Amino acid sequence: MTIPRRGLLHLAAGGAVLAALPRRSLAQSYPSRPITLVVFVPPGGAPDIVARLIGQPLSQRLGQPVVIENRPDGGGNLALQAVARAPADGTTLLLIATPHAVNVTLYEKQNVNVLRDIVPVASIDNDAFTVVVNPTLPVRTIAELIAYAKSNPGKVNMGSSGSGNLSHLAGELFKMMTGTEMVHVPYRGMPAAITALMTGDVHVVFDALPSSVSHVREGKVRAIGVTTGTRVKALPDIPPVAETVPGYVVTGWLGIGVPKGTPADIVSKLSKETNAVLADPEVVTRLANIGSEPFATSPDGFGRFIATETDKWAKVVRFANLKVE
Amino acid sequence: MEATLDSLLLGFSVAFRPDVLLYAFLGCVVGTLVGMLPGIGPLAGISILLPVTFGLDATKAIVMLAGIYYGSQYGGSTTSILMRIPGEAASVMTCIDGYAMAQKGRAGAALCIAAVGSFIAGTFGVIALTVIAPPLGAFALRFGPPEYTALLVVGLVFLAYMSSTSLARTLLMASFGLLLGCIGIDVMTGHFRYAFDIPELGDGIGIVPVAVGLFGLGEILSTPSHSVTTRVAAPRLAELLPNRTEWRQSAMPIARGTVLGFLVGIVPGSAHIISSFLSYALEKRISRHPEQFGQGAVAGVAGPESANNAASTGAFVPMLALGLPTGPVTAVLMAALLIHGVPPGPQLVTEHPQVFWGFIASMYVGNLMLLALNLPLVGLFVNVLRIPYAYLYPLIIMFCIIGVYEVNHSIVDVWIMLAMGVVGYLLRKFDFDPAPLVLGLVIAPTFEMSLRQSLIMSNGAWTIFFERPIAGSLLAVSAGLLVLSLVSFLLKRKDWRDKLAEASSAESQ
Repeated sequence: MTIPRRGLLHLAAGGAVLAALPRRSLAQSYPSRPITLVVFVPPGGAPDIVARLIGQPLSQRLGQPVVIENRPDGGGNLALQAVARAPADGTTLLLIATPHAVNVTLYEKQNVNVLRDIVPVASIDNDAFTVVVNPTLPVRTIAELIAYAKSNPGKVNMGSSGSGNLSHLAGELFKMMTGTEMVHVPYRGMPAAITALMTGDVHVVFDALPSSVSHVREGKVRAIGVTTGTRVKALPDIPPVAETVPGYVVTGWLGIGVPKGTPADIVSKLSKETNAVLADPEVVTRLANIGSEPFATSPDGFGRFIATETDKWAKVVRFANLKVE
Repeated sequence: MEATLDSLLLGFSVAFRPDVLLYAFLGCVVGTLVGMLPGIGPLAGISILLPVTFGLDATKAIVMLAGIYYGSQYGGSTTSILMRIPGEAASVMTCIDGYAMAQKGRAGAALCIAAVGSFIAGTFGVIALTVIAPPLGAFALRFGPPEYTALLVVGLVFLAYMSSTSLARTLLMASFGLLLGCIGIDVMTGHFRYAFDIPELGDGIGIVPVAVGLFGLGEILSTPSHSVTTRVAAPRLAELLPNRTEWRQSAMPIARGTVLGFLVGIVPGSAHIISSFLSYALEKRISRHPEQFGQGAVAGVAGPESANNAASTGAFVPMLALGLPTGPVTAVLMAALLIHGVPPGPQLVTEHPQVFWGFIASMYVGNLMLLALNLPLVGLFVNVLRIPYAYLYPLIIMFCIIGVYEVNHSIVDVWIMLAMGVVGYLLRKFDFDPAPLVLGLVIAPTFEMSLRQSLIMSNGAWTIFFERPIAGSLLAVSAGLLVLSLVSFLLKRKDWRDKLAEASSAESQ
């Protein structure tokens, strides 16, 4: 085997830099090993699909395979724990999502915490929820829903994809801000809740936009509000809930984080590459097809975003008395 | 009808394109492999291969991914029959009589019957899907929480009524399974139950570690305790195919399993697992020789294998007709369609006919391919039995551990499997049937959930189960079954259970 001279020079130069600036050379060689992206839902869950959508182009850009590892436990703590304990070398990534911000309050005694143990790298998407009702319900606007719920206290069933899930908390936030009373009926997963909405077993569901949009277009369920501050492209005729209930904003978001102590240059490289993936038109189209919009931030910006979300949901968790000891 | 035929012709013109054929074939091969390995179920297989399809068009992508799904139902039977390891949850029932047949030297016949039964069921499922998908989809929508609760009650009562040992033993096992199913986060309140601060238990106890432990490992552990026949049960080539009697015995179970499986498959939930349990129970009930079940009854392989294949096709009905997934697998397939810009649901047929009908036609072709793929392999697979136990069993244990670990990368799952292996050994020693335990575990989360949802909806009034027609009639059926068994008990009429006792006592003498 002959060693190319240029390669030798590189090695020598690398060695010199290594002595002077160890961090920098670490980032230059990063990633030298396959990367694991730990996902908190089983294969096939909506966040898992987004992770795979992002993982494939990300591995092309980083030159190392990005392997999706599913560590489901029903709440997201297991995945968080696995990443928090992994070596802080950028080879183990966490798919951060809204539940992680909620769990800070929900599982206060848990020994891991997304704010404390994870360094945010980049956000991926941030999507609206829709307020959908059964078409036979005599309610066409958010104001009418509030009035209807107030005149029929305890008779409006609100379906969700599971207790403590975002679809549940979105409804609790709505109850908290409007002073209405609705009966929470949790289902196992959103498809079951939407089916129940169509059959009239439940009357209203706070559903992520991607999963509800095709049913809304077919007229099987009626959308009466979107939960972003402004209107969304997918349903341009539907006004934001915030027009009636000022300040009501609920979004479901995903992002990437690494264990605390990961070198800053690895974080910035991962952040740069993730944002480049989010700017790729093909990725944008695929995300748009499942009803999702890319949401690119800097690591710092994402960190502030997570902190704000944590505060917001802390209030709702306390209001709805959901805390798990 | 004519329009359907025209559309099907369009579909076949798509499905027979060489490139589409290739991807259907790839899907079937991967599916067969996925079905054989414990741990990697169809769900994981499809999710992992999802990014691979990004470069393909929607038709090829869905054809390949669906191939994995129904291919895995074929593959699952192979390890069940040869090694008593359910490759995936739906083939638990095949373990019982399939493995018994293999021990009698009829492994080839069992594999053939499983493959042919799967083929017939798959093809019937596709035809039914073509013709009656929309009205059936609408019917499935009428299943709310009270109907689920009632359906699961019928399932449990039916199983108890069918029990091979005694009613008490079956109910004991089913209750044990139901209790195991309560472990994990309570979906209603978010509280951990019986988890002992082990976060891995939050999502509940997995079906795969339990099934693999109870059936696969339990069998291996109990082998040294009874005199091992060193006679290797590998048959000669001529004995690979089922004989005339075996074909005759399997014809009706295949037909019944197919219809039953398809109907169960339409109902949303983890129904295709339940379909094989129900089919096994049904066959045992109407058989003239129920004592043969567990000893290598052909019907015990033919029925459940057909049922789980028909159910996996039936599961496409609500997905294609309503745009609603019946379970996690169909949810991923829907996502795959969406990523390629094809929204599933009623508009799928009108807006993307080449995708819809190409997909349907590819299922006919795919089932044929699977038959062609699996029948010649029977001879190869049976050779596994030529490996002496001393080498085969350690290998099996290794595959069990790796396979179970792979599901969630969880060492806790491996411990659960090992513990269940010991439980399985004890159950065999004391002559308990582990199948009701698995059924209990499978239905526990849905059962609890739908019961509590129904009661929330009705404000705590139990009458909700009788006010809704479907739920009411299902409960009437289970009441009827209980009355029947009570009557036969009171009249001390000799039923099939006594026959069974006589047969076993005759055997022991």
